[in-house]
Amino acid sequence: MIIRLNTDMAAGAIGLAFAAVLWLGRGDIGRLSILFPRAILVILFVLSLLLFVKGFFRPGGRSIVISGSPWRLLVLILLLLVWWFAIGKLGFMVSSFLIMFFITWFLARVEGPVSWKRLLLWIPIIAVMVGGFYAIFTQVLNVRLPSGLLF
Amino acid sequence: MKFSKSILVSAVSAIALAGIAGQVQADYPEEPISYVIPFNPGGESDITARFQEPVLEEILGVSVNVSHRPGGGGAVAWSEFQSNAEPDGYELIGVNIPHIIAQPILRSDAGYETDNWEIITFFHSTPNALIVPANSPFDTLEDLVDYARENPQVVTLGGSGTYSANHLDMLRLEREADIDLTYIPFSGTGPLPAALEGNHVAGVFNYTMLGVQMEDRVKVLAVASEERVPALPDAPTFKEQGYDIVGGAYRGVAAPAGTPDEIITVLEDAFAEANRRIAEKQEPLGFVMEYITGDQVDEVISQLKDAYAPILESAE
Amino acid sequence: MDMLLEALASLMTFEGLITVLVGVSAGLLIGSLPGLTATMALAVLLPFTFSMEPLQGLMALGAVYMGSIYGGAFTAILINTPGTPSSIATTFDGYPMARQGRAYEALAGATIASVIGGLVGVTFLLLLAPPLARWAVAFGPSEMFWVAMLGLTLVASLSSGSLLKGMIGGCIGMLLSTVGVSPVGGETRFTFGFPPLQGGIELIVALIGLFVIPELLSMAAEGRSNITESAELGKTKVGIRQVARHILGKPVNLIRSCLIGQVIAIIPGAGGNVTSLVAYNEAKRFSKDPQSFGKGNIDGVVASESSNNVMVAGSMIPLLTLGIPGAPPDAIILGVLLMHGLRPGLSLFTESGVLTNGFILSMGLAALMLLPVGLLGARLIHKIVIKTPYHFMVPAIAMVTILGTFALRNSLLDVGIMMIMGIAGFFLRLIGIHAAPIVLGLILGGIAEQGYVQTMLAAVVDPIPWLRLVENPLSKVLAALVLLGAATALLPGWLERSGRLDKGESSRGEDK
Repeated sequence: MIIRLNTDMAAGAIGLAFAAVLWLGRGDIGRLSILFPRAILVILFVLSLLLFVKGFFRPGGRSIVISGSPWRLLVLILLLLVWWFAIGKLGFMVSSFLIMFFITWFLARVEGPVSWKRLLLWIPIIAVMVGGFYAIFTQVLNVRLPSGLLF
Repeated sequence: MKFSKSILVSAVSAIALAGIAGQVQADYPEEPISYVIPFNPGGESDITARFQEPVLEEILGVSVNVSHRPGGGGAVAWSEFQSNAEPDGYELIGVNIPHIIAQPILRSDAGYETDNWEIITFFHSTPNALIVPANSPFDTLEDLVDYARENPQVVTLGGSGTYSANHLDMLRLEREADIDLTYIPFSGTGPLPAALEGNHVAGVFNYTMLGVQMEDRVKVLAVASEERVPALPDAPTFKEQGYDIVGGAYRGVAAPAGTPDEIITVLEDAFAEANRRIAEKQEPLGFVMEYITGDQVDEVISQLKDAYAPILESAE
Repeated sequence: MDMLLEALASLMTFEGLITVLVGVSAGLLIGSLPGLTATMALAVLLPFTFSMEPLQGLMALGAVYMGSIYGGAFTAILINTPGTPSSIATTFDGYPMARQGRAYEALAGATIASVIGGLVGVTFLLLLAPPLARWAVAFGPSEMFWVAMLGLTLVASLSSGSLLKGMIGGCIGMLLSTVGVSPVGGETRFTFGFPPLQGGIELIVALIGLFVIPELLSMAAEGRSNITESAELGKTKVGIRQVARHILGKPVNLIRSCLIGQVIAIIPGAGGNVTSLVAYNEAKRFSKDPQSFGKGNIDGVVASESSNNVMVAGSMIPLLTLGIPGAPPDAIILGVLLMHGLRPGLSLFTESGVLTNGFILSMGLAALMLLPVGLLGARLIHKIVIKTPYHFMVPAIAMVTILGTFALRNSLLDVGIMMIMGIAGFFLRLIGIHAAPIVLGLILGGIAEQGYVQTMLAAVVDPIPWLRLVENPLSKVLAALVLLGAATALLPGWLERSGRLDKGESSRGEDK
């Protein structure tokens, strides 16, 4: 997919927005603590403004290319965020098993419909992957992974 | 049927409750205990926990898992602990003075309170020490104070962190001696030997351990303890030299508020025993072993709060 | 010398060899998991050494250190995720090589470079520790500020495409490094009233997010794996001998990278991440063909991996002689030394010389063991990555990343930060702001800030405080290097641009 976009102006706008968010959200901080961030904020502001203006006169790129399917891209972004959220609610084991299964199915569909047999075969594979890593992290590496309803 | 279901249920649950209450006393602990260190591995808190871990496991008979949750000078772990930890005796966290006093006063968003937990014990303290390089022109505290009185702000003293134990006691020295020094915060104790060795600062306000570790390359001008520290017998205290400064970092361990007293007692004893056994390893490093429990905990906190509060409030 | 032989003898026992072998393998495994750093590998495995003799315990930890720094290269090459921050620069060329089906060649190159780097570091430590230690303390606040600035000149070579965008990326990175508690001043900044943000944005969290998530997203979008097998492309497989001949045939790159690694290792506060970036940059600058860097040039992998393995033993110079940790994992080694009642200082090399020399030699042994262990591991892990269908690969990598990020600080918030940074990184890359300058800013922001503010504090009595920044001879030299570095980085681009402008004008002239 190709989107028409002046990348110089976009990057400049993002730099300006980032600087603005931090500057407006800086709250009340003392002289020593604001010294350095303020200097960088000013530099970022100037650079972004320069790039924005340059984008007007001599734009570097006029379009961006997303290779592949933007639909799959969006779904994966969503799934990752859901995964993060679900770990806190359902615990690591349950949420990871469900989301991994779903991602696997979703991505395998690229090659065509997935048969029931393959889906059933995946259950033990994914269970072993999740369970194995869970065991390594909790038992060997001593990391307490979030637990939820079941585990 | 007269014998209703609800009576049965309440009778059973009453028995069960009594049983559980009895079990808490008798059987605690029976699961692994998690012991969170709110700092990075390698620091004083971590080293101590590593010393304690095997002893505690032996005494309590369950495994004790040390894990690290660094961030915000301890504040991230502490705020999380106060809002999430279960008061069942299986979740413990290391606590440090003055951090838990200073951060809630200084920060609007520290996310925790100084007293919102059961502090089991403070097991050791590390008194502050004023340390200068071996080639420093200052041989005594008096030299340094006199020089600083004539040359305000010229004497630079490094230390670990801002409004840390180091910084706060340096500010107390300024008040007591009526001098004006310049404090330069470093991130942790790690960079301080280089700062001393390379003469990047005139001296450092750090803990006694640094004085022991660098014994042959530095001069310890004063120690902020009541009595001289065993590991540094030649270093005089501030008190001996006429300044009423006793302070440093206290390290201890806390359980969530509402943890049953029986459990706290079990843990108090376990940590005290661990302390006795690791003392021979820790004392030569410059640690001062403490056995502060129960009401003494509140006393120590309120005493240091009184000493530091005016400084902290003027900083705010 | 007697001590050296005695130490060697205590090393060459069955027990000693097994300890090092197990240590290297364990370190390699942990180091190759993204998020699990060398520091963490040491912290996690530390309790296992409690029951050992001091020398055996130190040997095990030295081996773990060596293994974990090397292990970071595996994932850097195969899935574009630096397993430890020291391998950032390995991704720049290693991953493109993997995409071209030359993953095994890159892995072999990384292994050989690591072995050589490790041995060089041990040699420096063994022979030159006391004189070199004097260097470490020369770096005070103002010098550290210039070191950070010197590092920032790398933005020019890391921002593929537009320099302006690279600089914006660097600024964003530096600002991200200021989130949390300020190093000087102790206040919380940019937390937006949200207590957990006091912990700030951990470098490794951002690193994993920015490097791995965009790769996963593009794999999903394209519907196929980014890594292909060389056989499918019809290329002949390159053997380990050819790779070795290629690397050893260019000794200048190796020597330069090792020296850079050693110099930076001694500077306290600048770890393996900085060494690998600087070595990579210099390899590119001095190369006859700088354009090929970033597109799969094995010299880039060699520069990065040799320099970061020099650091393992190299950073122990200030640690063992002065008690100053040269890199973050050394703090743990310091703790272990203290636990065994060993005080850093020259007495370590005299009174407890057998122990110290044994420890140093064991790191050399560990470096040698990287060769068989690493090559075997590389072959295995390469096969797994190649043979796994991409619809398993994507969720599996995502799971490992989540686990690693979580384990770093036991923080679920970090997992969220990692994902959001990764997703943002994907779109920023589309408009030309790449991950490398952002990460560079994040690494150096803290160092620069601390150096600058500390210098200004110390200079509070001076009439013109900022002159303190160039007061010492060393800081003058460093400042000059910064100017030189910036000039050589900017000049080619500027010349090219003005050249292009000339061309543009002449072509316009032809239009008339």
